[in-house]
Amino acid sequence: MIRVIHAEWVKLRTTSVPYVLTGIALLINALLILVIFLHQNMRGGDTVPHTTQQLNNLVGSGFQGYLFALLLGVLCITTEFRHKTVTTSFLVTPFRPVFVVGKMVLAAIAGAVLAVIMLVATLIGGGITLVARGGSFSDMLHQVPSVAPGMILVFALFAILGVGVGSVLTNQVAAIVVVLGWFIILEGILVSLVSGAAKWVPTGAALAASNLTRGEGGNNSGSPIHLFNQWQGTLLMLAYGILFAAVGSYFLTHRDIT
Amino acid sequence: MPAAIEIEHLTKQFRGVLAVDDLSFEVAAGRVTGFLGPNGSGKTTTLRMLLGLVEITSGQATFGGQRYVQIDQPIHHVGAVLEATSFHPARRAEDHLKMVAIGAGIPVSRVRETLELVGMEEVARRRVGKFSLGMRQRLQLATALLGDPDVLILDEPANGLDPQGIQWLRNFIRHQASTGRSVLVSSHLLSEMEETVDDVVIVSQGKLVLQTTLAELANRTGTTTGMRVRAPDLGHFTNMLTASNIPFRSVAPDTIVIDGATPEWLGPILAQHQIVVYEVIHEKGSLEDVFLELTHGFDATVPGGAAPGTGPMGGTPDAAGVPDPTTPTPGGPS
Repeated sequence: MIRVIHAEWVKLRTTSVPYVLTGIALLINALLILVIFLHQNMRGGDTVPHTTQQLNNLVGSGFQGYLFALLLGVLCITTEFRHKTVTTSFLVTPFRPVFVVGKMVLAAIAGAVLAVIMLVATLIGGGITLVARGGSFSDMLHQVPSVAPGMILVFALFAILGVGVGSVLTNQVAAIVVVLGWFIILEGILVSLVSGAAKWVPTGAALAASNLTRGEGGNNSGSPIHLFNQWQGTLLMLAYGILFAAVGSYFLTHRDIT
Repeated sequence: MPAAIEIEHLTKQFRGVLAVDDLSFEVAAGRVTGFLGPNGSGKTTTLRMLLGLVEITSGQATFGGQRYVQIDQPIHHVGAVLEATSFHPARRAEDHLKMVAIGAGIPVSRVRETLELVGMEEVARRRVGKFSLGMRQRLQLATALLGDPDVLILDEPANGLDPQGIQWLRNFIRHQASTGRSVLVSSHLLSEMEETVDDVVIVSQGKLVLQTTLAELANRTGTTTGMRVRAPDLGHFTNMLTASNIPFRSVAPDTIVIDGATPEWLGPILAQHQIVVYEVIHEKGSLEDVFLELTHGFDATVPGGAAPGTGPMGGTPDAAGVPDPTTPTPGGPS
């Protein structure tokens, strides 16, 4: 298994996928940091984030980047089918569930690394801006322990879910359209239509897993959202990923690679 | 000689289409076996079933009694070249090999060695997307050799190669066989492989047509397929053939071909009837003709004509005094 994960790492780092996704995620994160400071300016009074909640929001501004971890997981597996490198992969690892599990482990690590990169970038970019505007960097640093573990965990869980979805939907375009369609449009509609659905959908489970109390992923009405606790959320997210991976492994095992 | 590969009653059905039909053959260890058949005859499907990439409907395909998926670290025993497109275009040649080597537990130092084996050490750092088809084929061969396998499986490796590439490939395959490897190489053209293979397995429409050695197949060549006659005035001669129900084909205004005829049959007739000829050519079948005949069920060199040996007439001279050309002549070839 170690060999399979190592080979997956070589596959990942020798394509442009992780670099492009990380670049876009960082760009969006920079824009979000900018929005946080502009928003602070517009509110008048204090021009920099200084309360615990404001600094927590600033440190966790890259949280929405979990979508990129999800895409990373999806691309990890669908790229193999797009370029037919799956033939070589299955010749090296003929027992296909091992191939899927290897990708899940690597994607989880890559997702966690993406979260760390975004946190570090936020601390550098947000920290410089904060200090330049007279804010306290040490106050910002104090928020890291409450944000980082949850964010890293959520990114890893979404990357695992991405591999699971990609193992079921091996067509790259279809897989990307489905996951983005779900997380950007359908999930919000479902949550607003079905009461109690919020904690069961992947974003709700991920929010619970993150243990962040910022209210992302909820409805737009501002009403409180009842989520699972951190462990329940983590297990639910893992269950989604493993369920997709199990279905995907079954289909892959019986799929003819022609 | 022990078998390196055993295919037993292998069958594959794709949604109602029978791609491989109860196919059985063996590949002898240490020899180059040509797996030949026209496009769509089930060669690729057979090889992919053998390699565990396509599910088997029934029967079995094994390496020394073990299915590919049962072999521990299969890359160390079996190397395969399946298609020239299975690379990520942005990946460097060296990285593609590293990825396989690491996954299979092969020392990364072997990557350089295999690149040298296929003459690609100069382009190791180039991205595969910039490679020509021939270079991709070589990289595939390098991938197959990474684990120093005992068995090589090559699916249409000559496809898209220029004459120099094909010559290189022939030498490569012969070299691999000389080191004791068993090679199973598929092709839809026997001519590509006739200088390379020791044995042939010929398939058509998913079924085995023939398994033999190349030498035995070559013995089938040289069989007369007909006599080509060019003459200034063919009228008298063709009237005589028509009267005797001897089929012939006009291939030019002054040229006919008599299928199944032999020089021993034609010579005395031309002399007896004092027919002036400019050219008489004894047409013989090549190895490719034999292959085409076996795979198509008819002789493709006889468009619209009867296949050799299927003449409708008896062997006795008819009213026009012309014997059946398919009847063996004393002293002539049978």
